[in-house]
Amino acid sequence: MDLAATIVLNGLTLAALYFIVASGFSLIFGLMRVVNMAHGAMYLLAGYVGYSVFEPLYDSDVWYAWYAGLAAGVAFAAVFGAAVQLALLGWMQGQELRQALVTIGLSIIVADQLLASYGGTPRQFFAPDAIFGSTQVPWVGGYPTFRLVQIGIALAVGVGLWLLLNRTKLGMMIRAGVDDRQMLGACGVNVPLVGVAVFALGAALAGLGGIIGATAQPLAMGADGRFLLISLVVVIVGGMGSIIGTALGAVLIGLAEQIGQAMFPTYSVILTFVIMVAVLALRPQGILGRA
Amino acid sequence: MLEVRDLHVRFSQAHILQGVSLSVGMRPLAILGRNGMGKTTLCQAIMGLVATSEGAITLGGERLNGLPPYRIARRGIALVPQGRRTFPSLSVDEHLRLVAVRGARWTVERVYQTFPRLAERRGNGGTELSGGEQQMLAIARALLMNPKLVIMDEPSEGLAPVIVDHLIEVLRALPADGMGVLLVEQNLRVATEVAEEVALMVTGRIAATMPAARLAEDQGLQRRYLGVAAGGH
Repeated sequence: MDLAATIVLNGLTLAALYFIVASGFSLIFGLMRVVNMAHGAMYLLAGYVGYSVFEPLYDSDVWYAWYAGLAAGVAFAAVFGAAVQLALLGWMQGQELRQALVTIGLSIIVADQLLASYGGTPRQFFAPDAIFGSTQVPWVGGYPTFRLVQIGIALAVGVGLWLLLNRTKLGMMIRAGVDDRQMLGACGVNVPLVGVAVFALGAALAGLGGIIGATAQPLAMGADGRFLLISLVVVIVGGMGSIIGTALGAVLIGLAEQIGQAMFPTYSVILTFVIMVAVLALRPQGILGRA
Repeated sequence: MLEVRDLHVRFSQAHILQGVSLSVGMRPLAILGRNGMGKTTLCQAIMGLVATSEGAITLGGERLNGLPPYRIARRGIALVPQGRRTFPSLSVDEHLRLVAVRGARWTVERVYQTFPRLAERRGNGGTELSGGEQQMLAIARALLMNPKLVIMDEPSEGLAPVIVDHLIEVLRALPADGMGVLLVEQNLRVATEVAEEVALMVTGRIAATMPAARLAEDQGLQRRYLGVAAGGH
């Protein structure tokens, strides 16, 4: 019973991280129809940039070191995402294969540059005292506080995105643009500018995931590929462009990974792909995706 | 106000518009023609939704072709597109707030007064409306942009006769608001009741322009350009 509860909680905390990262991926795909293969690179980039702000502050023992690292990483990812859209992808709107190839190229360049400047040593953030340590959870016992915070942040991201999409003018533009991009332009809306904003937001979410992820477990080369793959699987399972679908996909994949690792560690990697194949076979648009 | 001079549009091998020239001032102009004559392409070309290969489109002397659609919209042209193209993810009220400008002649309140049916359905999604309601929404969306010129591409398509009457009433009132109207129609009655002048389009060209009253009376002309009396469209 205790073990089961721990596994479920582990699955949910992992799902929280997956949701944060994949929601940015899903947002960008939803409006822009860009499969952003550099999404994982943005995760990694934010992690390292955030770390280089965090480390000197942490060494000099200031309380806001982690928060400063978080802000720096997220802001850098947002600016980087906006720049990618403005300088590269905006010129090839609607050419999906070209955009996919350009973002793959970009992610290779980013990963190599990060390796050159930071080396291969894993880095890890230390969460501030307020959210460090452990908390008593019923049936589970002591559980890392930060992982619980992770779930809280994911919920806040989900609610925030929902409010943005449903309660703001930018949200109206994004939804209308998903429906009929051309007609949105004919209504006087500067669609390319909305695209830059969406790209910045999506990249910022990847960046947020990068900092959160690098606090929960060490950040190392290869995390970019892993989180790109996870984002793809999560949005394929949940449904492209749907926030609730992304949340559902993240929970499914997070739980499946943890349950798989506990029960049949050797084959656990296969489980997520079995789920993906099953969804693709039965409901190709994803569980909550629109056909 | 709107001047189109020798406009050509090509889609790879197909030469859709073959030198269209027309001008719309304060008097509503209707363009009539059978299917496949290039009427919708002309609307899309003016709005910047398809690329033009030759010719010029100007509004108040300023060149429009080559500009992205949102800039053309901001210069003062609004399109009520064929098939309405309302946004399924937006409610009626959201459609209106998306484009509304504070303090302009057309406001959300005025839209609800003019189209009481939309006020009743303000919370409904774009796909939960009937065809007539969707058409009213598409028109309201265009009017709220307070354009100098509104282009309507077959607004009466698929509407019940009683709704067509309401539509005619709304369109006839637009010039009094200082709005130019370019109406593309297959429905002869709508065109001749709304517009004072009609242009007849045949295979990507304007074949003839005449007062609406003359076309309304002359069945020979109708047969020749529209195939109306022959029973076809």
